[in-house]
Amino acid sequence: MHSIVIPISIRMLTHNQMRLIMTVIGIAIAFFLAAAQIGLMVGWINTNSAIIKHAGVDIWVMAEETRAFEYGTAIPRHRIQQVASIPGVAWAEGLLTSWSLWQHPHGERINVEIIGLDRSLVGGPWMLLDGATENVIQPKTVIVDELHQKLLGVYNLGDEAEMQGSRAIIGGFSKGVRTFTALPFIFTSINNALDYSPSYNDEEITYVLARIAPNIDANDVRNRIIKEINNIEVLTTDEFAERSVKYWMLETGVGITVIITALLGLLVGAVIMSQTLFAITQDHIANYATLLALGFHQKTLRQIVLAQSLSLGGLGIIIGSILFFAACNASARSPIPLETTPTVSMGLIAFSLLCCIAASWFSIRAIFKLDPVTVFHG
Amino acid sequence: MKSIMACQGISKSYGSGDILERVLKRVDLEFFEGQASVLVGPSGSGKTTLLSILGCLLAPSEGQLLIASEAVNFSDKSSLTEVRRQKLGFIFQHAQLLPFLTIEENLAIVGRNAGMDDDDIKQRLDGLLYRLELKAMRYKHPAQLSGGQRQRVAIARALLHRPSIVLADEPTAALDWNTGKTVVELLLEQARMEKAVLVVVTHDTRMLPLFDRILSIADGILSEQAQTAAAENIFYTQP
Repeated sequence: MHSIVIPISIRMLTHNQMRLIMTVIGIAIAFFLAAAQIGLMVGWINTNSAIIKHAGVDIWVMAEETRAFEYGTAIPRHRIQQVASIPGVAWAEGLLTSWSLWQHPHGERINVEIIGLDRSLVGGPWMLLDGATENVIQPKTVIVDELHQKLLGVYNLGDEAEMQGSRAIIGGFSKGVRTFTALPFIFTSINNALDYSPSYNDEEITYVLARIAPNIDANDVRNRIIKEINNIEVLTTDEFAERSVKYWMLETGVGITVIITALLGLLVGAVIMSQTLFAITQDHIANYATLLALGFHQKTLRQIVLAQSLSLGGLGIIIGSILFFAACNASARSPIPLETTPTVSMGLIAFSLLCCIAASWFSIRAIFKLDPVTVFHG
Repeated sequence: MKSIMACQGISKSYGSGDILERVLKRVDLEFFEGQASVLVGPSGSGKTTLLSILGCLLAPSEGQLLIASEAVNFSDKSSLTEVRRQKLGFIFQHAQLLPFLTIEENLAIVGRNAGMDDDDIKQRLDGLLYRLELKAMRYKHPAQLSGGQRQRVAIARALLHRPSIVLADEPTAALDWNTGKTVVELLLEQARMEKAVLVVVTHDTRMLPLFDRILSIADGILSEQAQTAAAENIFYTQP
């Protein structure tokens, strides 16, 4: 039977090449539309939790009821030693986050978010375009992202600005370190950060970052920390990332808008894709009716329609994916990146193929409902 | 003569109650091996409905259809498909060849669908294309053929898998008189050669003398006319 299905499917599709090209382009654009909307959401989520995930630690210790990374509040600096002394903790250092006011070299002012790094520079930028992360150890030295050069009015290493009356010298430019709040991140040392952060005193930090010793259960260590230290909350990296994302996604109107837009993109993409495939089957309805009358099994026709839907869908998805990855690449250095993960990509492809199968199912139903008199009179 | 197909009390109605429309009324009919019948009647008389039932495409409301002495089970779609692909050959009004396949492919898929092996298909295809003078058209697409050539291909397609019954619905409707006559003569010649039952629906009464039997249908009631009467009829209608 396959000796009939494949040649008929292919010949039916390639007979009208312009129609074939338009169909594949239609599906590719529909897939791209859905992928782009989902990609925006993934990029948004990744931006939300990027610093947490890139820090490469196991545990985050913070003030109780910290809603998101950006909203950490002060905890005593000696918590670092307390955490480090808990059995099972291999390493612990601090991290400080605060809001400050950046003053351009030519006087303009904007709000920024300071990230103060401890000795190991954990929680710092993960990709550097120019300079070195170690430079932040130098007094009054900061690293900003290339995306915010214009916003901050600094373009070269050594350029200077001011925060809270203190100098800020550019010691490096990071790459792809976006901020969700639209306030640029300013990386520096904890000591420098304290100069720029009026709400913190010298004995305060925001987070204690810890790594667990090998072969030790993180939950056990977490429970020990909670038991030993009062008025703090302890989360694993994944839990903290999830909390930050949930806060921005679900507790702020912005996140809901992103989700709805992504779902609408997916829905519109699915409808366009299904409609396009349905239309190409309808174009050949008279031919299917003839095959049915000539004694071709319904199963054979189902296989032909399914093979066409999957091959057209597959081609469209491949082209749509190429467009999407090109767009991801193009947007990589923009404030709103398109990103994906293997799971999201596979899920989107599976969903799109399901749409193809659904479209073929509806198409074939239309064929099997044909009046036999129609078959006779063409 | 060997009986190939029989209608026993076949009726077909649409709707119910006050709006019941009886399209066919108790049709009893038997078709024999190699016999060519023509079905005539005015528009809406039930010709295509009867042809659809004979082609196992439409279930009768009452009565039964026997093919090779076996009652056709209209409730089993799979067995209907099997009957169509093994025992029936169709010729449609507009040939309805698949436009995306060459003539050879249009014929070959019918053979493959009927389970014929490649050698048999090739032999059969060569023979039919030769007999129907279509050898030069073998690798052309339907759009490259004239209406008459397309109907000749449709004849070849209907006969390729050696069906015992060939049904044709107004095969000459889209053709001029001379081309139509040639097509019908070819159809009759090939069907007789294959010893297939041939049932042709037509509006063209000039074709009637070419057939063995003339079946007339009016208001759903079928009657058989004597061939001589039909011959006289043709005398008055031919231009």
